[in-house]
Amino acid sequence: MLDDEHARFQVDVQRRLWVVGGGLFGAFSILGGRLFYLQVMKGGEYRNLAEDNRISLQPISALRGRILDRNGYVLVENRPDFSLAVVPELTESFAELIERLQPIINLSQSQIDSLYKRLQSQRSFLPLQIKSKLTWQEVSRIEAQIHSLAGVTIQAKSVRYYSQGVSAAHLLGYIGEVSERDKQRFPAIHFRSGDFVGKSGMERQFEVQLRGREGVREMEVNATGRQIRQLRERSPRPGDDLHLTIDLGLQQIAEKSLAGKAGAVVVLDPRNGKVLAMASQPSYDPNKFIQGFSDKEWNALISDPDRPLGNKAIQGQYPPGSTFKIIVALAAMSEGKMDASERYYCPGHIIREEHKFYCWRRKGHGQVGLVQALAQSCDVFFYKLAEQVGIDAIERQARRLGLGDISHIGINGEKPGLVPSRSWKRAMQGVVWYPGETLITAIGQGYLLSTPLQLANMMAAIANGGTVYKPSLVDLGDDELPEVLQWGHINPNHLELLREGLREVVHGRLGTASRYQPDRVKAAGKTGTSQVVRHKREESGEIIKSENDRHKDHALYITYAPASPTKEPKLAISIVVEHGGHGSSAAAPIAKELIDYFFSRTENGGDGIIGPIG
Amino acid sequence: MGLSDKRGYLGLGGESALTKRERFARFPWSLFLLLLVLASVGFVVLFSAIGGWENVHLLWRQIARFGMGVVLMFGLSLLGGEKLYRRYAYLFYALSLLLLIAVFVFGTIGMGARRWLSFGGFLLQPSELMKVALVLALARYYHDRTASMRQDSGGLGVPLLLIAVPAAFIINQPDLGTAIMVISIGVTVMVVAGLSWNLIIGSMVILGASIPMAWNFLYDYQRQRITTLFFPEQDPLGAGYHIIQSKIAIGSGGVLGKGFMAGSQNRLEFLPERHTDFIFSVLAEEWGFLGGCALLLIYAMVIVRTLIIATQANDRFGVLVVVGMTAFFAFQVLVNIGMVIGLLPVVGIPLPFISYGGSSMLTLMMAMGLLSHVSVYSKQHGRSV
Repeated sequence: MLDDEHARFQVDVQRRLWVVGGGLFGAFSILGGRLFYLQVMKGGEYRNLAEDNRISLQPISALRGRILDRNGYVLVENRPDFSLAVVPELTESFAELIERLQPIINLSQSQIDSLYKRLQSQRSFLPLQIKSKLTWQEVSRIEAQIHSLAGVTIQAKSVRYYSQGVSAAHLLGYIGEVSERDKQRFPAIHFRSGDFVGKSGMERQFEVQLRGREGVREMEVNATGRQIRQLRERSPRPGDDLHLTIDLGLQQIAEKSLAGKAGAVVVLDPRNGKVLAMASQPSYDPNKFIQGFSDKEWNALISDPDRPLGNKAIQGQYPPGSTFKIIVALAAMSEGKMDASERYYCPGHIIREEHKFYCWRRKGHGQVGLVQALAQSCDVFFYKLAEQVGIDAIERQARRLGLGDISHIGINGEKPGLVPSRSWKRAMQGVVWYPGETLITAIGQGYLLSTPLQLANMMAAIANGGTVYKPSLVDLGDDELPEVLQWGHINPNHLELLREGLREVVHGRLGTASRYQPDRVKAAGKTGTSQVVRHKREESGEIIKSENDRHKDHALYITYAPASPTKEPKLAISIVVEHGGHGSSAAAPIAKELIDYFFSRTENGGDGIIGPIG
Repeated sequence: MGLSDKRGYLGLGGESALTKRERFARFPWSLFLLLLVLASVGFVVLFSAIGGWENVHLLWRQIARFGMGVVLMFGLSLLGGEKLYRRYAYLFYALSLLLLIAVFVFGTIGMGARRWLSFGGFLLQPSELMKVALVLALARYYHDRTASMRQDSGGLGVPLLLIAVPAAFIINQPDLGTAIMVISIGVTVMVVAGLSWNLIIGSMVILGASIPMAWNFLYDYQRQRITTLFFPEQDPLGAGYHIIQSKIAIGSGGVLGKGFMAGSQNRLEFLPERHTDFIFSVLAEEWGFLGGCALLLIYAMVIVRTLIIATQANDRFGVLVVVGMTAFFAFQVLVNIGMVIGLLPVVGIPLPFISYGGSSMLTLMMAMGLLSHVSVYSKQHGRSV
């Protein structure tokens, strides 16, 4: 009986042990299967995750390229910015250390409070920034005793520095922290947040070249972020230096002569379209964009009616005034409506359709030919000429010399100006072109608008025989052929007649710019005065004095030199002084200064270089 | 079969008298050899997990514990008297229960739970002791019951009480992992002892149905562990961190592993608790799929060897002791590895013979000693293995 029972139990136990054993076998198979899934099937995926875990990539920023003028003078460079940092875990006592540093760095109580707050929230093996923008004195005093200051490090960071301050600020542009729009503009660049990027001017245009390539240090880190060792390093490639066509000396003269005024100066080399100077006043110090503006400074900058942030050389659109007479003269000659012997009588005004069109000289100029008409800027002569030629030919000629369209100089914000035509007026205003409007256009008023850059380029074309080059700002070396916007096709006889008139402007007895003849070379020029909006009156009917100044006409002058028939012109200049009054008195003196400076420098041996002023 | 043999065989007569030399010879050496291999693997992995020579004192301590464990195993298995443990089973159970209650009253609090009793610097974890004591008590109970009584469902009361009382104290510590462990071991013993199949299947159905209800009784951190198990990515730096980093370590080991001391997850401290509960991920990272499978195989061999001892046991007490101890060992392996590879929630169950830690090592060796004692006195010893 007992035997029986035990035997039954034995059989039953065997069966139940098989069940238990089978269950365990099943469970172990699941573990094995899971291991197979994780390690064999998903092994590669997890291996990548493990690599990501342990490698921290630290960027090493690349030094941004410098920007230099054509003679090698530095316009934009990088300067070290020293900051003091402490690795808390390396110090014996953090509080004591700060106390010892305090006589050197003079932190305010609030700075110290925030320091201790950051100390709490940051891992103790990471450097804690104590003070940035250290002076040389502070750096040297800390360096002198650094061996006894455990945990203290001086970190150097490179900061963009605009060596010439306000000089050429609009042209050079500035850099700032990268925004979403910047990322879309430069899709090829991999930005990280807080990176700096060119925001305007050359800094933006040549972002890719200036930027270089960031290096990277692969550090092995543990789970808390502590660095264990360096695995690999790829050195950064510094950005390329940018050599501009700008001549710093000319640039500074241009800026100095515009100082205290609003306006722009553009100097081109008529032989190739290189920009030798491009000044816009008032200006601003781009270093402020790096260091930061105070609210007051920023508000002053953006509320200034003279718009210091705008680059008037390419964005300012002014009626060309009498400088446009060059276009009318060329149009008339090429249409066969004008030759050297043609004369018109100027009585001081003409009447068309019961409307009086005045000459600026109410007494009139009497009997004048093209040369005298240009030299004395006779309006009536050009009214009559324009009547003969018609607006269509004038428009064609203006466009042939680069007016009415952007020049693709490559700085953001270039404006196209405006050359009106019959079709333009019909499209814009739904009205036909009136003959009187042709007369107004002939003296550079009405709808016409041009930028200082366009006017300089027009003058360069007259100087070089009719070719409109694409203005360039970057010196690609002499081998690089200049890009051409319009090939010259001006009849040499027409050109010579025109040039004679323009020389008379400067050197003729009655020339409008004859008081500002350059000392060393002959020059050819054309003055202009562009009317600002018709005088507005306050409701009281009075004009406030300062307001009155704002309504003074813009003074214009365009010129090239040397202008004697045997010499090749080397400079083409346009000058606009906002509310300057007459071109002859406000703008022409600036041209004289520029030309005198340039040729005094080059007289003793071709393109000899003398350093920039000041 | 002679009468004396028969009496001995049935466990009714006087105890079989075996000389010390005989007992020594009947010791399950193959089992001991497997455990030695297991412990050695553990030392190698531990050396890597603690970061090499820098912390080698931890390895020495672990080896010393294993040495103590070996003494314990030999001592328990070679003690004379076939009925020795059956006789003192209830007493041992009662003592363990008292210790558990003592923990409840004046236990040491560590890591947010009250699990340890301090004896002059030596920490004792009574819940570990309870696993062994419960197996002995249940085996004694079923041994004393006749067949008819065993089939009687009314006979369920005492075993369930034996299991439930300590389990309740352990849940209270709170230590859900160990409590589930104690319950699982107890239930396994009951199943093998002869629980009717209808009852087994029936309660499995009820258990399955009651899981949603049990959810409401869990602490927040316990629920979180279960949700993180299925969605670890939801909280990668919080509750999911353990599982994610452990899976990365294991997965990145691949087929052949990264090599001894070369596991980056381990070296760089991405793995939490890598020398205790998560030591399997160190092994899997450095020795790969092959290493992990090899370890599973060794564990399986241990289990097979102990189940063979169960089939050779002289009496019901012997069978159930061996089954209970085997369940203790096997469940610990399954739950730990299941947790480390992301199949089970994170509960603090160490990996037998591999994880760093004293309580687990000593209780396991105690269990191995007790089941070896069954083998030493087995009449069928040497018949099959």
